[in-house]
Order: sequence, then structure tokens, then C-alpha cells
Amino acid sequence: MRGRMLAFVGLCSVCALAAGAYVRHAIRRAEQAGSAGETVAANGDRGLRPSGTTVLFRSTAMDSSYGRLALAPIEDPSRRQLVPTLSCERVDFASGRGVCLTAARGVVTTYAAVVFDQDFQPLFTLALAGAPSRVRVSADGAFAAVTVFVSGHSYGGDFSTVTSIIDLHRGDYVVPNLEQFTVWNEAERFDAVDRNFWGVTFARNPDTFYATVGSSGRTYLIKGAAGEREARIMRDGVECPSLSPDNRRVAFKRRDGNAVGPVRWRLSVLDLDSLRDVGLAETRNVDDQVAWLDNDRVMYTLPNAESGTAETTTWVVPANGGGEPAVLVPLASSTVVWSP
Amino acid sequence: MHLSTARRAVNDALLSLAQPGPGSETPLAPPSDSSGAQTTAGWTKRIGRNVLFLGLTSLLTDVSSEMVTAVLPLYLTFVLHFTPLAFGFVDGLYQGTSALIRLWGGLIADRGDRRKEVAAAGYAASALCKLGLWLSGTLWLPTTVVLFVDRLGKGMRTPPRDALIALSSPRAHVAEAFGVHRAMDTAGALIGPLLAFAILARAPAAFDAIFMVSFVFAILGVAALLLFVENRGGSIDTPAAVTWPSAIALLRSADFRALTLGATLLSLCTVSDGFVYLVIQRRVDLAPSLFPLLPVVVALAYLVLAVPAGRVADGLGRSRILLLGYGALIAAYVLLAWANPSRPALLGSLLLVGGYYAATDGVLMAMTSRVVPADRLASGMALVTTGTVGARLLGSIVFGSAWSWFGPENAVRLFLFALGAAIAVAAVILPRGE
Repeated sequence: MRGRMLAFVGLCSVCALAAGAYVRHAIRRAEQAGSAGETVAANGDRGLRPSGTTVLFRSTAMDSSYGRLALAPIEDPSRRQLVPTLSCERVDFASGRGVCLTAARGVVTTYAAVVFDQDFQPLFTLALAGAPSRVRVSADGAFAAVTVFVSGHSYGGDFSTVTSIIDLHRGDYVVPNLEQFTVWNEAERFDAVDRNFWGVTFARNPDTFYATVGSSGRTYLIKGAAGEREARIMRDGVECPSLSPDNRRVAFKRRDGNAVGPVRWRLSVLDLDSLRDVGLAETRNVDDQVAWLDNDRVMYTLPNAESGTAETTTWVVPANGGGEPAVLVPLASSTVVWSP
Repeated sequence: MHLSTARRAVNDALLSLAQPGPGSETPLAPPSDSSGAQTTAGWTKRIGRNVLFLGLTSLLTDVSSEMVTAVLPLYLTFVLHFTPLAFGFVDGLYQGTSALIRLWGGLIADRGDRRKEVAAAGYAASALCKLGLWLSGTLWLPTTVVLFVDRLGKGMRTPPRDALIALSSPRAHVAEAFGVHRAMDTAGALIGPLLAFAILARAPAAFDAIFMVSFVFAILGVAALLLFVENRGGSIDTPAAVTWPSAIALLRSADFRALTLGATLLSLCTVSDGFVYLVIQRRVDLAPSLFPLLPVVVALAYLVLAVPAGRVADGLGRSRILLLGYGALIAAYVLLAWANPSRPALLGSLLLVGGYYAATDGVLMAMTSRVVPADRLASGMALVTTGTVGARLLGSIVFGSAWSWFGPENAVRLFLFALGAAIAVAAVILPRGE
């Protein structure tokens, strides 16, 4: 017994040393990444906001800028300018109001939505119930919709989503959970218990919005009326809708096949008048809520698979099904048009 | 350091038992344990050292697996870009396979008395899977396969391990032994996430470090089992040829059939924790950041109550405590469905759910060990567990449908009524003298 006890204590010591060394290595690696290639420019340099289109995105470069917000002109995305104040998982901005979804990793990881103004100064901070997934700000900067993942305690499974609507001028929840809405499928109430809402996009009149509702493995496009606390199913097979600036089309991701493991998505655009959709020229698997660069082009983010890290690239593709995908901003995600 | 914290937590729970419980005065319990001096040695003798080492194995393994569980949603969504629905599908696949492997694990463990070997193989498989996660990097297919094998390892090791606990403890204290094991197991499950997030706090996105530390804890768990746990034989003379038919034939015993039926019926009328948290989310005004703490409160209550519940069960009768545990669940539902949605009511319902686990999980295995012949114990435990797990899954589906058809309040009322009826039936059919 004593011999075995000694063997166990010895093994514990070796394991403690090995694990300690590995964790120290990981911490040092994180710190080194944090100090390498400091490329921060001062905020408020109007010279870097040229006449052409500027995009706002979160940097995914594996240096100190990782997760930080940045602005860049699309003509020359290498002239990126980092925002000193904000680090986000997702971001959106319109008409002087932005929302940055943050994660503060700790003993219990906490998530928050930070509402900021055009100078990137935080105005309000609202606690979130889970890991950030999507955020969209209405074109008038009055409201934002936030989707988070809420996970249960069981091994891996048990995901669900919570989608809330925030008033960006008062800094509080108008709708804490879209689940409170009555959803109509033709004349019938649609209230399956496993109903999940995600991926809101606002119309020009922000009382109207589009979103995804999922249930039993199927996904539907809904058109909601925030004032009435109601929504109506428009068609199925639509996920993460994104309304065009002219409000006539919805870009979305469509399930492609039913493979085991991660789902594959194809980008498509739905015409809201004819309810006909067209697949876009991008054939890779896109898991993103796309954003419109203008009325003719959509942008979306793909991981840089070959890098083996969290690096991503924002791509752009014509919205009519023609053309070819092209790189818009390297080392960027959650890219949106910057319109202060 | 983390280990000693866990040990202290377990010891605290045990210290609360320093004086003999009410159970020791009933005729069922032997008088030997009512001696005032509850030294560690005396207590170890009553529970059996083997059980403590099985508890240590589970504690280390749970630190390992819960470290991964806690960060898995983050890892799958942010690193591997899984979606909730995709993972739900894969998870459904796991559940089904897990039941089959559990029965098979129980069977081969009984065959030739290889309980320790089969349990060790299951623990070792899960340990290697932690290394597999580390090796898989950002590739989704290897990661999925590794998570799947991890589940298989868990399914395979549980029945032989529980059989070893039962065979290692005196028959009069078997529920208490399970309580000790479950308390240690839960302590590990509480430490794991703390450790994982402590690492992430210092080294953001260092999932590889989490997998490596998890692997190290898993190795220690396997080592504790191999070095300290003694195999316990079940058969009296020659090892019985345990086959599928002979395992199924266990159901011919009236007591075992009644136990399996009663436990399955009770599980069928149980609302899963996920729904309980969902109801709380709807009824109580709670800061979202406090949400992850709800399962922690339940686990703490379970940790503290597991040993006292087992001890009382050994004294007062195990089936009585099992039924009392389901009674606590009814009380929790009543609080959730009707009480003023306030923080005390919320806390009360969480504590009751923790008490329900303490009074049912280990106690059911203890009861099984008393109605199944020792040479087919692991198979018997696998059968009962398959029944209860399957029933709980079915119950969740029924609850979900009831929720959509009749609304949440009526669904809870329906389950309250059904659970009450199930308790009444179980009270009649559960084996006497337990």
C-alpha cells in the first residue's frame, strides 16, 4: 500500500509540474501575442475617414488588435485604424449608435452589450444571458436586436437562443425575449416549446423586423411587428436574414444537405415581392449574418481555415447570383458599413 | 490545491454527520455505528476504503470532464463554428449509443468478474479522448468522433463502477457508501468549471491548455483506480457465464422487475432540469449573469445532502427515502408553479432539486444492489439505468409537447399529478424491506 501511495504521489507531482508548465506556456503565449505588432492609431483622425465607403469591423489579426474594433476604407483596407476603447465578439452600427457584444472571461464568464456613440464612447452596458451570436442596429439607430446562446448544464448539448430588443437611447430592454411574441403560421398560432428566435434584421421603420424562428430542426423566416408583439411566418428554410438597404430583398443562409456534424449553408437572396430566391456565387459554407455593402453587394466572414487560428476574412459577392466572391477586408469579422 | 479544496468540501459534508443520524436507532441498522467516536478510521471501516478510492477516481475524472463540458459550448460555436441545432442532432445520436454501450459494459464486467478492468477501460478511453481533443485542433470531424468515444467510455464504466461500490461496502451501509461516492463525484464536477475558467481568464482562448490539464486529471483518475481500487468478485465459486439472456432474465425476479418498473415510472414523470431552469427564467426576475449559477446551487445542495440522505436511507429504508426524494421534487414544482416568484422561493426550489438528486441517484443503485445477485450486479444496474434514462428522455419529449398544447402552467400541473400518481404506485410496488 505504501509503495502504491508513493507511486501515486509521485505521479501527482509529475502531472502537476507538466500541467503547470503547459498552462504557463499558454499564458506566456497569450501575453506575447498581446505585445507583438502594436499597430494602434489614435482615434478621431478624420483623415482616415475618406470620401469613399468605410467599414467598421472587429480585427481578427493574431496580435494585440485581436477582438478590437477598427475602421478601414474599402479601397485600401490595409489602412485600418484601431478603436482604442472597444473589444467585441460582434458589432453593428447605424446613425450614431453602435452595439458591441463583449465577453469577460472569468470564473463565471459574463457577457454584455455595450451601447456606444459615434466617438466609440460607451453609453450603456446591459448584461447578456449567454454567449453573443448576432447583433443588428436599426437604420435610424433607435433599436438593436441581440441574439445570444444560452447553454444548459448537460454535456455539450442543450443549446438554445435568446433574442432581445434594446432601446439604444434609453439603454434598456424593450423586449427581453422575442419568445414572448405571438407567432402566426397562416391562421394558426405557432408555439412549439422548442421555439428559438435568432438573427433579427430591422426594416427602415424599425417597428417591422425580420428574423429566424427555429423548431424541431426546421427554420422559418418571420416578419414581426414589435408594437403588436406579433410575428408571422413567411416561408421556411431561411436563417439569419439581412434586409437590403432598399428593403426589397433579404439575404440569408440556406441549409445545404443534411450531413451529420456541422450544417453547411449557402448564401441566397430572397425577393420579398415574388418570394423567389437566388443562390449567390459564394459556394463555401458561410455561417454568418451577412451585411449589405450597398444595394448590389453583400459581405460576410469566413474563417481562414488553413491558418489553424481564429483568423477570418471578410468577403464580398454580388447579390444577384452573378460574379465571384472577392476579399473585402483581410483579418476582419462582423464587418458593417460605417455611417456616422 | 484544487484537490484539497474538494477534499475539504467533502469533509465538511461528512463532518455534519458527526453524530449518529436518526436512522441508526431503527432496527434495520446494526447498532455498531452508533458509537460516539466517529473517527476517520471507524468511518472508513464502515464505508470501505475501496469506496473512498472509487470516489477519488470519480472526483479526479469529473474535474477532468467538467473542465471540458464547461467550455465546450464556447469551443464548438466560436472555434469550430457548430450551430446549436447541429450539435443537438449529434447529441441525440450519443444518447442512443450510450444506452447500448452501458448494457454491454455491465455484461462484460460481470462476465468473469472483470468489473475493475472494464471500469478502468472506460476511464482510460475518456482520458485518451482528452488527449484526442487536444490533437484534433480545429478539425470538426475528429472532435465529434472524440466526443462520441468519450460518451462511450462514460457509458461503459458507470455500471461496473457502481457494482464495485456496492460490492465494496457492507450491505447495511450501501446507500451511505453511494452517498459518499456521489458527494466526491459532485465535488469534482464543481471544481472542473472553476479551473477551466481560471485558465481562460489568464490565457484567453487557450482551449489547448484546458484540454491538456483535463487530460492530466483524467490520468490521475485512472491511476487512482488502478493503484488503489481492489476488484471485488461477485460470484461465489466459478465465474458465471453471464450472457445477454441471463442478464435479461434478471427481470424474471419479481423484486428486480418491480424496482425497474417503479424507477422507470418515476423517471417518466420527471421534468428535466433544463425545463426547471427555463421556468425559473420566465418567472423570476434574475440578472442574466446569475443564470449560470443555478446548476451550481443544485450541485452544492446535492454535494452536501448526498451523504446524509444515504445514511438516513440505510436507517429508515431506502425506498422510503427514494420516494421522499421524489416528494422533494413535487415540492420544488409546486414552488415553481404557484409560489410568489421571489428569490427565496427560487432558492428553495433549487435546494429541493438538489435534495431530490441526493435522495434518489445513489439510493436507487443501492436498492438495485440489494435485489440483484452479486454475479450479475453490473448488468442489473445497467438495465435499471437504461430504463430510467430512457424514461427521462421520453418524459422530456412529453413535457415539451404538453407545454406547446396546454401551456407551461398546465404542463407543470400535469406532471405534478402524474408524479404524484407514480409515487403512489411506486410506494405499493417497490420491494418491501428496502
